[in-house]
Parts: sequence; structure tokens; C-alpha cells
Amino acid sequence: MPQHHGVTRAHQDPGLQPERTSLAWGRTLLALVTVSSLFLRWVPLHGWLVLGPLAMSITAAASIYATQRRRYQSNARGISAGQLTSDGVAVLWTAVAAAALGAMGVTVVLLDW
Amino acid sequence: MTVSSHPASPQPHPHAGPGPTSDTDSDKEPDTDIEEGALPSPPQMGRGKIAQRLLAGGSEPDPRFTLANERTFLAWIRTSLALLAGGIAVEAFTADLFLEPVRKSIAILLLLMGMLLSGNSALRWLQVERSMRQNRPLPLPLMVPLLAIAGALAAVGIVLSILLG
Repeated sequence: MPQHHGVTRAHQDPGLQPERTSLAWGRTLLALVTVSSLFLRWVPLHGWLVLGPLAMSITAAASIYATQRRRYQSNARGISAGQLTSDGVAVLWTAVAAAALGAMGVTVVLLDW
Repeated sequence: MTVSSHPASPQPHPHAGPGPTSDTDSDKEPDTDIEEGALPSPPQMGRGKIAQRLLAGGSEPDPRFTLANERTFLAWIRTSLALLAGGIAVEAFTADLFLEPVRKSIAILLLLMGMLLSGNSALRWLQVERSMRQNRPLPLPLMVPLLAIAGALAAVGIVLSILLG
């Protein structure tokens, strides 16, 4: 691998793990935004009950957005150091947010049956 | 995933167990206690209390595998979000197509499947993470055949209800 002098590299991984992981989180963020905008289509049907799931999905998307830079940096550091702690809190929080979105959606549909 | 042999890439952790007994680890023992036989792990950087409790014992896997597991979880979560989006869309857009009970049932079914999948993806992330720490074989994804069958059944059901209704 050629040495690029004067270029600071965050990591030496040719598999680009930190990039791919950040992009995967970014795609998840976009999926959350998509879901939240679809919830807006429920406003004519269900009124302002929809604010609950809307707020939930926007909060989840915003929390991913807010942590992206830090995530990339700590993943790049972990790849260089050969030791990386898995981000269990982010994983669990995302799963709980998705499950809560589903639960809120079911509740809204059932309330207005 | 890509596993390169680049010299600067981190090497997988050597097996933590000292001595020749580490070869017997591959024996399928039904759920031995995780703490048992595990050496105290090296000091963890920034490892929160929750992570310590969830991922006790074993040795830290190769960082690339940790990140690959995270991305796999994210792919599953996006699948779950797609199911949620499908449920929301059925409820929002199919008022002219389906009777109300049919529409609401399909929407609720999709939303429930999305919830099931999101819970399962977190569970699977945890199982894979633990297996990697213990050098055990990875668990099979049971959700794959389930999801395929459910998807096929849902498609058949929707086609039938359009044809008959």
C-alpha cells in the first residue's frame, strides 16, 4: 500500500469498516424519516393521535444524526487500536424505538376502529 | 464481509484460554455459565454498565466483526421499518380498495410483524455478539424462513381479497 505523506488517516482499514457502519446508520436514519413522513398521512384519518409516533420516529432519527460523527471517530479509533467496544446502547435503543413505533401505530389503528 | 490480510489490520484475538484445554471448547455443551472459565477481560475502553452486563465474559472479538454484526442488525432493523412503513401505507392509502376491517387487519398484521422483527433483530445481535466473544458458532437466523413465508402468505391474501372483493 503506498504511503501518502502529509495525509492524516483516521484508520488503516482497507475494508472501510467505519465508513460502511456510519452509512448503515445513515440509511437507518433515512428509513426512520420515511416512516415518520408516512405517519403524516394518518392525520386526516386519525387526527393528532399521530403526533405520538411522529415524535418518536423523529427523536430516534435525530439521535442517530447527533451521534454520527462521534460514532465514526470511535469506530475508526477502535479499528486502529484493534479493540472496539460494541455500541450495545445504540443498538438496543434503535430496536426499542422501532418496536415502540409499531406499538403506537397499532394503538392508533385500534383506537379508531 | 471483507476480511483482508493487510498487515496493518487488527488480528483476531488469540484464544483467551491458557493451556491445551482450550481445544475442548468446541464441544457442544448446553449453555455453560458464561462467567465460568472466562479470564478477566482486558480493560475496556468506554464500556458502559449496560454493555458490561449484557456482554460479560469471553474476549473482545475482532473490531471488524463487531462492526459487521452492528451493520447486520441495522439491515434487519431497516427491514422491520419497511414492514412498519407498509402497514402505515396500507392504512393510509387503501381506503378505496379494501373494506375497513380488511384494511385495518392487514395494517395491524404488518405493524405487528415489524415489531416482532425489531425485537428479534436486537436479540439476534446480542446472540451473535455473545457467540463471537465465546468463540462459538453463530446462531441461525430463524427469522429468514418465517419472514419469507409471511411475505408470501400476505401477497396471496392481498391478491385474493382484490380478486374476490
